[in-house]
Amino acid sequence: MKPLLGTIYLLGMLVPGGLGYDRFLAQHRHEVVDEVVSPWRILETYTYNRYHPMGEIYQWMNQIRENYPEVVTQHFLGMTYESRPMYYLKISQPSSNPKKIMWMDCGIHAREWIAPAFCQWFVKEILQNYKDNSRIRRLLKNLDFYVLPVLNIDGYIYSWTTDRLWRKSRSSHNNGTCFGTDLNRNFNASWCSVGATHNCQDLTFCGTGPESEPETKAVSSFIESRKENVACFLTMHSYGQLILLPYGYTKNKSSNHEELIQVGQKAANALKAKHGTDYRVGSSADILYATSGSSRDWARDIGIPFSYTFELRDNGTYGFVLPEAQIQATCEEAMEAVLSILDDVYEKYWSTSRAGKVTSTAVVLSLLMSFTALL
Amino acid sequence: MQPCGQSLFAPRPGNRPPATRLLALLLLLALQGAAAAPAGSRTPEDSEWCQDAELPQGLLLQAARAALHFFNFRAGSPSALRVLAEVQEGSAWINQRKERKVDLVFTTELYSTEEAKARLGKCSARVFFRNEKPRPAVNVTCTQLIERQKRQEEDYQLYRHMKQLNTPLDVVSIPDSHGHIDPSLRPIWDLAFLGSSYVMWEKTTQFLHYYVSQLSSVKQWKTNDDAIDFDYTVLLHEFSTQEIIPCRIHLVWYPGKPLKVKYHCQELQTPEASGTEDGSAVAPIELSNF
Repeated sequence: MKPLLGTIYLLGMLVPGGLGYDRFLAQHRHEVVDEVVSPWRILETYTYNRYHPMGEIYQWMNQIRENYPEVVTQHFLGMTYESRPMYYLKISQPSSNPKKIMWMDCGIHAREWIAPAFCQWFVKEILQNYKDNSRIRRLLKNLDFYVLPVLNIDGYIYSWTTDRLWRKSRSSHNNGTCFGTDLNRNFNASWCSVGATHNCQDLTFCGTGPESEPETKAVSSFIESRKENVACFLTMHSYGQLILLPYGYTKNKSSNHEELIQVGQKAANALKAKHGTDYRVGSSADILYATSGSSRDWARDIGIPFSYTFELRDNGTYGFVLPEAQIQATCEEAMEAVLSILDDVYEKYWSTSRAGKVTSTAVVLSLLMSFTALL
Repeated sequence: MQPCGQSLFAPRPGNRPPATRLLALLLLLALQGAAAAPAGSRTPEDSEWCQDAELPQGLLLQAARAALHFFNFRAGSPSALRVLAEVQEGSAWINQRKERKVDLVFTTELYSTEEAKARLGKCSARVFFRNEKPRPAVNVTCTQLIERQKRQEEDYQLYRHMKQLNTPLDVVSIPDSHGHIDPSLRPIWDLAFLGSSYVMWEKTTQFLHYYVSQLSSVKQWKTNDDAIDFDYTVLLHEFSTQEIIPCRIHLVWYPGKPLKVKYHCQELQTPEASGTEDGSAVAPIELSNF
């Protein structure tokens, strides 16, 4: 049984990276895995401190879904330009409570490999700890986590097979002479007004129109249809060590700018407490550069209150090609930041007339106890 | 120098450096044998400067980057390369030609260190940006991070290691896709980074800044006078455009001697740029089909 699983892993790696998902799925079907792998295996043996090609990430999603059916479901989001399926994982603790959504996507830019690594890490951490970690249990009472481990699947595969520093999608333009749209310039947020170009050859090509790319459309349609319920929109990138708020397309600040700064700074402090790493916090236009058509700005503009871009490690020493030896530390500290934001979101929406009762009960009890001690 | 309207700007809230500290900094720069931009580049000291209180976003960081690239190049020491830790204070002036003068103090760490709590060096610098043009003029002084003898010894070790390598090297890329650099190839990376520092200094403007992403097509061959003659291509990442720019670099290096660099970058829009460092006693090596 276990050797069979090992064979699956091997096959996943032997299959050339350029193959589409459907061919992999066909192979997978030939090696039918009927036996249930005990849950701890997928978390213990999958190497979260290594980078994984897309085939392995698809496989990982399947196994997570199969092994945590009580909290995890896998959902189809749409098809990429090169006809690959986009899946997200929904982590949800069944309850009668009305839920709000945290959305996290990784890998909108192909070369930013640490981002998909973090999405996988995040899922692992939640599933490993949701039963006995009160902090996570509390969050899952009212929040559902939607995680898209790789948004730009075509580009990600291309960065494995052909060009490690590829950034954009793989859509074809100008009669097949030019490839790729910068998906983070393609959202409908002051589209192509600044910090993006109409030239397909550029790395910040905004596409032929807002949401012209299937990947963009898949995400935006999904979020749009649920926007009243989305409390938190996180999009993971590298590098630069930044926590970015809206906006990039203007120096104007969002209506909840002060709150976003406070929450962001608290997250950066929590991050720094882990391994001493410094992340700066600010609006994209203030501390990075002007950009238009970003998913974060778009999310804020349709009303999602907590919308952040994370630029993970490092500061330019290795840049996009971050050594695998740094994956663990990068993910651990980023995890602290994300949990901090989620705590603040939770406090805001579901705090604590309940908590107030608990506190006053404790006070009354201790008063009673000290009173009886005096008797 | 008169203010352009407002008072001194400090990068950290509530932490305004007194005017006397900056004055001391300027005196320090004037008195010490600080590294200065090569002869031939204009240092607009005489222009009418007014103090820019509204410090443009990221200007201090840009100045720190330019200063650090230049420092690394001038130090010519692949085992003592530095990276930016933090900008501590700075102020800027602007003139009628929209040129900017930046005085700043920043801290550095050693590039090669893996320690969690790395030792910090301190640098003070004056940087002139010529209105979006590259090749900022730099005056920079830094406190010592490695003992001189240790640095010389490590440089010489690196040199011996490089001399022993077989040429031509057919290395595909450093680091590999997963960020690994084989320890035996680390000296190549360090030397390549040193040469890239020259290129990055020259190309840095008020708005553009660069990092080395990867090293590819590494070649090396020995020369008659025992220097390392190193020909390679780096992929530079320009941050604001996100572009990857391949640069072919040719450097000649001997421990303790000034570094000589020639380069040729494949620019996208602007005509292909190339630059040469001059001012060395050793005659530059001629290249065929560069």
